[in-house]
Amino acid sequence: MEAAAVPGWLDEHDVRWVKTESVSLDGLVVGKHLGRAKFAKMLPRGNAITELVLGYDIGGTPYLAWWDAWRADALGDIYQRPDLDTLVVAPDRAGTANVLCDFVDESGAAIPSCPRGVLRHVLGGLADRGFAARAAFEIEAMLFTDALEGARRRHFADLTPMATNVPVGYLHHNSRQQLAFVDETIRRLDGLGIEVEGWHDEAAPGQLEINLVPSDPLVACDAVVRAKQVMREVAMEQGHVVTFMAKPSAEYGNGLHVHHSLTRDGEPVFYAPDGAMSPTVRHWIGGLMASADALTSFACPTINSYRRMVGFAAAPTVASWGEDNKSAAIRVLSIEPKAARIEYRVAGGDANPYLVLASVLAAGVAGLDAATELPPPIAVSGWGLPPGRFPHLPTSITRAADALEADTGLTAGLGPAFVGFWVNTRRWEWLMFHTTGGDPMATAVTPWELDRYFELA
Amino acid sequence: MVTGRAGAWYEAPVQTAPTGSIVETEDDPTPIVLIVATTLRRAEETPKLAAMMRNAKGNVALRSTVDPQAATIRFGDGRVCVVRGVAADTDVTISTDVNRMADEDAPKPKVAGAATHARLALTASKVLEPPIGPWRDEARRFWARIEHHPRTPRGVHVVCTDERSQITLGVEPVEFEIHGTAHRLTALFTGGTVFGQEVLDGHLYAVGSLEHLAELTGRSIDVMTGRL
Repeated sequence: MEAAAVPGWLDEHDVRWVKTESVSLDGLVVGKHLGRAKFAKMLPRGNAITELVLGYDIGGTPYLAWWDAWRADALGDIYQRPDLDTLVVAPDRAGTANVLCDFVDESGAAIPSCPRGVLRHVLGGLADRGFAARAAFEIEAMLFTDALEGARRRHFADLTPMATNVPVGYLHHNSRQQLAFVDETIRRLDGLGIEVEGWHDEAAPGQLEINLVPSDPLVACDAVVRAKQVMREVAMEQGHVVTFMAKPSAEYGNGLHVHHSLTRDGEPVFYAPDGAMSPTVRHWIGGLMASADALTSFACPTINSYRRMVGFAAAPTVASWGEDNKSAAIRVLSIEPKAARIEYRVAGGDANPYLVLASVLAAGVAGLDAATELPPPIAVSGWGLPPGRFPHLPTSITRAADALEADTGLTAGLGPAFVGFWVNTRRWEWLMFHTTGGDPMATAVTPWELDRYFELA
Repeated sequence: MVTGRAGAWYEAPVQTAPTGSIVETEDDPTPIVLIVATTLRRAEETPKLAAMMRNAKGNVALRSTVDPQAATIRFGDGRVCVVRGVAADTDVTISTDVNRMADEDAPKPKVAGAATHARLALTASKVLEPPIGPWRDEARRFWARIEHHPRTPRGVHVVCTDERSQITLGVEPVEFEIHGTAHRLTALFTGGTVFGQEVLDGHLYAVGSLEHLAELTGRSIDVMTGRL
């Protein structure tokens, strides 16, 4: 939609308020509610918002240990530039529309630490090389019968899963208990134009998985952001709580698996009948493998993320790829032309979808550019292996940040300014954990993690 | 898209055993492990303290009384290794309020195990409080470590409010000013405090941009954790 068409569209849909939605590095949805006149007046650059939305951590503490060129000398504003292709009537509130926005500076130039902008940047590089991508996410979450206020008072401990306590997945006994929540979630997602492919009960008590249809990568990430927001709102309004935290309990954790496929001149790139991979596919997967450690920084962005990365709990633990191997970090599905794709299985439910997908695609592009050969696949279970058989993925937020900082190919693809800022934020998260009450000796999820991540991650 | 790398406040990888040092840390150390190791490396600069560390044998735990932070110092075989947590085989345990260690009226640490490991406890007390110089000397030492960082202000003016003295670090034009008592300035320049927190708490005052405040805070963390 062009800016000139916005007033007419707002009239047509009887919109009085527009909710601007941007996404922080930690995946928080931030923005304002603007009166229709103000929203229209601010186009195309969009409304001002404090730069702190990109300058504080998930606990609300400002990053006061480094700066960046896009920030003002003192404290200034950045801008939310609406992507008018995402303007949609809110399905839950009469007279309101929602619109997703990119962070830009006063001149309208992209801010390097805007997650949506990072993905756009990577997609541009992919298009320059003649490729188009599609992506689809699997959203895992845990639903509890407790109301939000009470859960907050108990610091999200000792909640009651909306399911049997027996950790068995795919139970319709559980799905039936979650039906009112899922029905309303899907009704609102339909209203937002987000198509759900399917959903089911998952392994941990109260856990469910919602699968979104494949789409353009930016649209796919937008859908995850909006779907998570809708799920939080529906749960709250129905008197429950939901979390996407990677490991809220000792049970199976929440993942955010992402599938991607490539086409070139309309032909599926990853299709490899009889296992005969083209050089393009080998180099693409080679790039993903070469950056496997660095990618973990985006896939596992919190202290809590690394508790999910244990063997035999659905999360990969070693840097590996394999054909249809769910214990591998990179699961390749290449034998059906219409469904040929790669599933990246490392990401936790607490990951920012834009950054996960941008980094995966950037790693693939780096592999193409460097003609990176791929190591041998893993043909056995990736769990329970003797030490040294396959390299272990990073086991902490600091080790993953170190790996990302050292990965020059991935850094070049994502943008050095963004990667530098991101690495600082992850080291800051480490510092916050250790110096604000986190217990590094704890072998189970700590109150610090529940307080910090349960509601917002 | 704007290009150019953000200045990292924590760029250098941890040196588990810097050249010439007998002090090592665990793999993937916690902040308190890094801080303790940095303090011990400073103690190494004093020959008498270095000899005490080389000759010491036993394990000393440093435990925070206000949060779960803890580290264990393992002395033995002429080397020192700092690891996270309170080890089960600790001989001496020092408990202290880690948030008040830089205060002039900081509560005295409590020491357990000194009666049976007096020599080890004495060594620990000495090497965990290495000698420091006058605030001006410490300011110059601090500056020598941080001045080459690309985002450090070119010139910083430091005003000591109780001694009524001042120095300028770096070159003109002065881009930033730090004001405070000799005690708080010394604590900052020896890596005992985090600059931004000191300003937020009202212990130090700053005149300059938030950018420089943040970058100097990052540098103070670098010095505190031994990365600069």
